[in-house]
Amino acid sequence: MEQILSAALFVLLYGVSYGLVLFIIAIGLVITMGLMQIVNLAHGAFAAIGGYIAVSLMNAAGMPYLATLCAAVVMVVLLSFVLERLIYVRLYGASHLDQILMTLGVNFIVIGAITILFGPNVYPVKLPGFLQGSVDLGLRRFEVYRIFVICLGLAVVVCLWALFERTSFGAKLRAAVDNRSIAQVIGIDVDRLFLLAFGIGSGLAALGGAVGAAMLPLEPYYPMKYLMLVLVVVALSGYGNIRASLGVAIIVGLIDTAGRLLVPAFGGFVIYLLLILLTIWRPDGLFAGRAP
Amino acid sequence: MDSWAPRLAAVLLCVLPFAGSAAAAEKSTVKLGVVGPLTGPFAVMGEQWRQGIETYLAVHGDTVNGRKIEVIYRDTTGNPATAKQLTQELVTRDKVQFLGGYGLSPEANASASIVNSAKIPTFLFHVASPSSMPLSPYFVRVGQNIATNGAVSAQWALKSGKTKAYIAIADYGPGHDFAKGFREYYTSHGGEIVREDAIPLNTVDFSPFAERIDAAAPQYVSMFIPPGAPAVSMVKALAARGILAKTLVVGQGEAEDPDIHLFDGAVLNFHSVIYYSSTLETPENKRFVETLRTKFGPKALPSTFTLGGYDSMALIFKIVSEGEGDTTDGDKVMRSLVGYSYESPRGQVTIAPSRELIEDFIVRRVEKSGEGLRNVVIDTIPRVDPATFK
Repeated sequence: MEQILSAALFVLLYGVSYGLVLFIIAIGLVITMGLMQIVNLAHGAFAAIGGYIAVSLMNAAGMPYLATLCAAVVMVVLLSFVLERLIYVRLYGASHLDQILMTLGVNFIVIGAITILFGPNVYPVKLPGFLQGSVDLGLRRFEVYRIFVICLGLAVVVCLWALFERTSFGAKLRAAVDNRSIAQVIGIDVDRLFLLAFGIGSGLAALGGAVGAAMLPLEPYYPMKYLMLVLVVVALSGYGNIRASLGVAIIVGLIDTAGRLLVPAFGGFVIYLLLILLTIWRPDGLFAGRAP
Repeated sequence: MDSWAPRLAAVLLCVLPFAGSAAAAEKSTVKLGVVGPLTGPFAVMGEQWRQGIETYLAVHGDTVNGRKIEVIYRDTTGNPATAKQLTQELVTRDKVQFLGGYGLSPEANASASIVNSAKIPTFLFHVASPSSMPLSPYFVRVGQNIATNGAVSAQWALKSGKTKAYIAIADYGPGHDFAKGFREYYTSHGGEIVREDAIPLNTVDFSPFAERIDAAAPQYVSMFIPPGAPAVSMVKALAARGILAKTLVVGQGEAEDPDIHLFDGAVLNFHSVIYYSSTLETPENKRFVETLRTKFGPKALPSTFTLGGYDSMALIFKIVSEGEGDTTDGDKVMRSLVGYSYESPRGQVTIAPSRELIEDFIVRRVEKSGEGLRNVVIDTIPRVDPATFK
């Protein structure tokens, strides 16, 4: 009995912490894909760049951990503004195939750049002292780092909810997504709004890449390697459904963790089985029926 | 129109010396074509091979028996179809006398038919699959047979009194070959396998596997995870669960000396059974590491990949330096290699009739040293013959 309880607790704790990292990375793509209708396959590249910036600042410059997270987010947001003006602005309204080709190209450039700058191998990550070790939760021990990830993930959720539901920026953004022309007619600067939304999405990806670096190792192929997982979350969330994506990311984390723990031989497929079943059952997104 | 003869003579006078020197160069230059991943997810292999080859040339010069050794690198990015095509190009266009490299077993296996029809002696720097050697009589394996490694690991586990083992392998060919070698030796000599996990290659979070291993409470964890991100994540998950500290966890090439810093200290007390460590005390190894460092920086360290490049050059130098250095007859070259013994940085090795090496296996443990964490040799299994060690 205690063993079953311990296993259940394992799945819960590790699944939720894994799911929340996926959420932080994927939410940006949910925003850009849903709100701006851009299939940004280079989204993982922003996460990778964020991770590499944070870790190299810590390794080379000796910056404190939390400061490197902020620096990574700020730098990637600024980079994303530049890229939005240079590249993505040309993709609004373009066909999805054009968007995929362009953003995949960005991915390959980033992969090449990372290889040149940091070498082809994994980039080592050292957690700060206060995140090392584990604490006793009674039934089992749990890593401090993962508790930090869970707290940070929940903080991101609260902030995003407040931003989209409680600020005029959020109201305008929702308006622009619902009907772009009417929003423009009543004086909302939609271009600027989209630029900001793109920046927020990329910044969150950077945060996910930086915070999750100890869970999803940084390597040149990062932008491609984790794209599939991020796309699973996006697909199951439905277009632009931010609330759903939290639930979906956590479910993906739980199912993936449980699958590998209980049926390791099929552990790699469980998540795709979930994807197939859910897209048949709920093609518009897992929580689409309940969304307002 | 009567001036054509002097003009022709002039042209010939200009061209002929070049033609002559080109032919001479063709005859005297020995070419090695190195095929494998130089970029892409497995680029580390290509990078370290190159360091090994260049280190050998730095020690011994690039000319032997009056013939210059030229190395031509071709990038497969890890794709077997590309490996076959590049092998063909090297044989037909560049007219190489030797082939080498081949990072992944499928790359070597796909190229075997070309190697066979051209009869080119081919050095597999570290391809470890048992399936590769039967495909070509021109293959020489400079690394290890992964099934032999499994058997050696099993023998060492039992020698250490560990009779309950957990096998955790990556779910792909070499992983299963390794598991078979370990399982057969272990169970036929009284060991018990408590559980066996084939870990999917797409695994991101390895903590569920650490959890499973911990729950089974084995005395010995025999693992095979490809180097790079998967190995780093797996070892970190085992360390976070406290398994590395309390149980013997034994792999092979997951944490080679140049890669140890990737693990951020989590790899302390990780064991491995393999045939080389940069900390070996042989004179040949000291020279190897010293030269590598003068060439590639004071912190450079060799791995089994680096050794593969280095030792293959040693064999090519041996072939070219002997007698008239006839490199045109592949069959003759292969016959001359069998039974040949030489001092490798890993110790003395002999090429067995199976064209695999009879070599010492070592057991290493990651320990703190003056230069940070290193693989320190804690046991040696001498002169393992892959044909008989089962």
